[in-house]
Amino acid sequence: MPQHIKRLISVFAIFIVLFLVMRQVLKPSSFGKLGHFRADAIYENTLKPMHYTIADSCTKCHKSVRAEKDKGFHKRLKCEVCHGPGLKHSLFAEQFKGKELPDSLKLYKPGERKDCGVCHQKNAARIKIQFDTINTTMVHQIDLAEHNPPDLKANEPANCIDCHNPHQP
Amino acid sequence: MEDHLQNLYEVLSKVEGYVYPNEIELNWSILIVLYPYITGLVAGAFILASLERIFKIKVLKPTYGIALLTAFSFMLVATMPLVSHLGKPLRAYEIMITPHSSSAMAIFGFVYLWYLMVVLFLEIWFDYRRDMVIWGNESKGVKRFLYKLLSLWTTDISPKAVALDDRIGYIVTVIGIPSAFLLHGYVGFIFGSIKANPWWSTVLMPVIFLFSAMVSGIALVMLIYIVLTKVRKQLIDMECLDTIAKYLFYILVIDFALEGLDQIHRIYVAEESFEALHKLVFGKLFYTLFIYQGLLGTVVPLLTLGTLQFYKPKASIRKIIYIILPVLVLMGIFFMRWNVVIGGQLFSKSFYGYTTFKTGLIGMEGYLMAATWLIIPFLILSFLLWLLPPWNKIETSHE
Amino acid sequence: MNQDTTKLSRRNFFKAGTVLASGVAIASALTPYDGLLFAAESPGAKGKWYGIGIDINKCIGCGKCANACKQENNVPKDPFYFRSWVEQYTIKNDGSILVESPSGGVNGFTQSVPDNEIYKSFFVPKMCNHCAKSPCTQVCPVGATFETEEGIVLVDEKYCIGCRYCVQACPYGCRYIHPEKGTADKCTLCFHRLKHGLQPACFEICPTEARIFGDLNDPGSKLNYFLKNHNCMVVKPHLNTGSKLFYNALSPEVR
Ligand code: HEC
Ligand code: HEC
Ligand code: HEC
Ligand code: HEC
Repeated sequence: MPQHIKRLISVFAIFIVLFLVMRQVLKPSSFGKLGHFRADAIYENTLKPMHYTIADSCTKCHKSVRAEKDKGFHKRLKCEVCHGPGLKHSLFAEQFKGKELPDSLKLYKPGERKDCGVCHQKNAARIKIQFDTINTTMVHQIDLAEHNPPDLKANEPANCIDCHNPHQP
Repeated sequence: MEDHLQNLYEVLSKVEGYVYPNEIELNWSILIVLYPYITGLVAGAFILASLERIFKIKVLKPTYGIALLTAFSFMLVATMPLVSHLGKPLRAYEIMITPHSSSAMAIFGFVYLWYLMVVLFLEIWFDYRRDMVIWGNESKGVKRFLYKLLSLWTTDISPKAVALDDRIGYIVTVIGIPSAFLLHGYVGFIFGSIKANPWWSTVLMPVIFLFSAMVSGIALVMLIYIVLTKVRKQLIDMECLDTIAKYLFYILVIDFALEGLDQIHRIYVAEESFEALHKLVFGKLFYTLFIYQGLLGTVVPLLTLGTLQFYKPKASIRKIIYIILPVLVLMGIFFMRWNVVIGGQLFSKSFYGYTTFKTGLIGMEGYLMAATWLIIPFLILSFLLWLLPPWNKIETSHE
Repeated sequence: MNQDTTKLSRRNFFKAGTVLASGVAIASALTPYDGLLFAAESPGAKGKWYGIGIDINKCIGCGKCANACKQENNVPKDPFYFRSWVEQYTIKNDGSILVESPSGGVNGFTQSVPDNEIYKSFFVPKMCNHCAKSPCTQVCPVGATFETEEGIVLVDEKYCIGCRYCVQACPYGCRYIHPEKGTADKCTLCFHRLKHGLQPACFEICPTEARIFGDLNDPGSKLNYFLKNHNCMVVKPHLNTGSKLFYNALSPEVR
């Protein structure tokens, strides 16, 4: 074989070997164990922080609210629908019993008209005719503008929770 | 980051109808327009070179070297727009070490390397080796070192060795033609295989990309040849230009027919997406599709070149035509890529609305970045032409 | 599931004597066609195989699911990044279709068309379909997105290069590029919650139980009950993505 072809081939060979070595070094160790991906990624995905807990976990400390709620129309609503993510709260709130909660543990208290309106505001798409149940709607709707609107002059009750107990509406 | 969000809010205010919220942001922007554009130039320039080498069209001789070096310098840059648009550019190596066999994009690294190293590099190397050895002995300093390095310190320039070089170069070119087809057909497949996007998903996509690549590459070499000859104050070989123009015409006809077929098919079958695409084509894409790509980039060159096949005006007029036409064609193909890449993301996959394209001047995905990647190949080309001037080579006739 | 199909397909592979077919094609062509669930294994197979049911009739469009998703998964607050969102479809009397999703519905909806112009209107919650033949995992060049044994499509944040090919390939618009991380991001079915035996946040929160989450392999699961008793449909069935998100009362306008 002529000399220049030999050189050329050896240059290519060096590159290929280098590539193979790099490949071995750089390839993550768990790659390909379960398929064409890094198997460790499955585990890593479970490590993300949680923010929401489950419905029952609030009951442990807020029995009365739960009992109240179970009697009312909101019995199907989970606490966190209104109060927002509560995992941190339910883990650390105990020590503050009877005291003011630190801001980081405070939960949202949706008492404003628009908060209830998110579910109860009249909307054509909310009317559902269900033949299999007696209910014709999933949720009772009111017109926020008409249902006992706030009277700005007199100090009339304005917020929904002034008249309705949010836990037992 | 802040700019990016601000941009998006501006786009949000311009959304027409309904698009999925994640679709407001155009994920592939100007850089991904460049990527098929540049690879297309490579494939096209190489095909022109092989016309001379394989199909023995000897009048094209003056452009052979230029075409090869053009292909090579654009190829060196071809991946850069892709890499610089990545969210994590430093992880780009993963595509080589763990390529996913079912992904149309994964094989790119290998197709690219194959084409760059095995086809372009080898062909140029074998073509220039003897000259590099000779030039290396004649020059001094850095240039000498460069020649020595590039020729791998080989010295054998006996007629036997040179004949072997020529033989191997020929084989490489033969391998190169299907490789060029593969390279660019493959880029078309990246788009054509996305079934979620009706604007892209057509079997014709690879073929269309291929022919438009040839069109653009040939036009580019034509232009570079004219400019170079002017700069070197040499005589332009009109016969060569006429022949290039002839091939440009043939391929443009095929390209036009294919794209026309694609559109006619779309219109005739009028699938679910038809109304949405119809509105897109006559709305947001009107100028780029009909005026820039269609009229200026295809129809005008087609008619002019067609006329030239029957009636030849005098050389000075043809020269002007041969300067203007490649520019038009290059612009047309650029907007063809634009219409595919950007157009394919302007409409929502829900077919209920359209978003807007907006990118800034600066930033990783801005126009300046794009311009950089378009200019760099020309700098590389100038360097290569300085280092390996095709016109200083010892005449060899490829057999 | 993976193991079973490969065994099955290998046998058929030799039987048919066909060469050169991609793994995906084999799996999809030879898995027995299941009319009920495009993607489901036959009930009773071992292991979990998660699916999703959404009852459009029950959805009141409060957007709490989209909101909960953003908070649970630290999704950027800007209205361009969603793992889960809600759309309101309004079909007017003149036949025109209006689709709205003001910031993904995280703050609820307000009716924008007067009652007398509306022919019908409904909400459609959208999220990742966790397709069994997912186009997005198919196109990932480096294997940074994959399907787990339970049928959940996940992203490997540490390996994703951010090429955005998967974003283009998803027919449902369920992926985005995380603006800070620069990698693809999508619904994980709250994988971190599942491992603790909890439901994904959006299912946990739904006030009307319009969202049903369950194991398609478990004949007694709520999801199988739901699928048996309703005529369910997936979005864009013609794309054959093996979607595992089943809608009850899905209107053909929904895309
Ligand atoms: C570990 C016991 C515990 C659990 C579990 C718990 N809380 Fe609390 N919560 C408290 C304490 C202690 C307070 C402090 C005020 C008090 O004593 O009434 C409080 C206060 C509150 C408040 C009022 C905050 C304020 O700003 O006034 C709300 C709302 C609340 N909890 C909701 C919830 C919800 C929703 C859950 C379930 C996710 C929950 N809690 C779970 C202990 C708990
Ligand atoms: C419909 C939405 C809604 C739901 C569901 C709901 N709450 Fe509340 N909750 C409220 C509102 C609104 C307030 C604020 C009342 C106020 O400010 O007087 C509140 C206040 C509270 C408080 C503060 C005590 C108080 O009276 O000020 C506690 C504790 C609480 N909620 C716990 C719960 C628990 C536990 C659940 C689940 C069992 C729950 N809530 C479900 C809306 C809700
Ligand atoms: C997450 C959605 C949601 C929110 C927020 C919500 N509700 Fe409800 N509400 C419901 C559902 C669901 C029902 C039960 C179905 C029905 O309407 O009968 C209900 C029932 C009611 C009812 C009884 C209607 C009847 O049947 O007579 C009242 C009153 C009511 N809610 C008031 C409120 C008030 C006041 C607030 C604000 C603190 C509020 N709701 C917030 C979902 C919600
Ligand atoms: C002034 C006191 C008052 C205020 C403020 C008020 N409501 Fe009521 N609401 C009532 C009374 C009284 C009824 C029962 C009589 C009726 O059906 O109108 C009622 C009924 C309802 C019902 C049941 C309607 C039905 O068709 O059965 C809903 C839902 C409701 N309210 C929600 C709200 C919401 C949401 C707000 C806040 C935007 C609100 N209410 C504010 C007094 C009030």
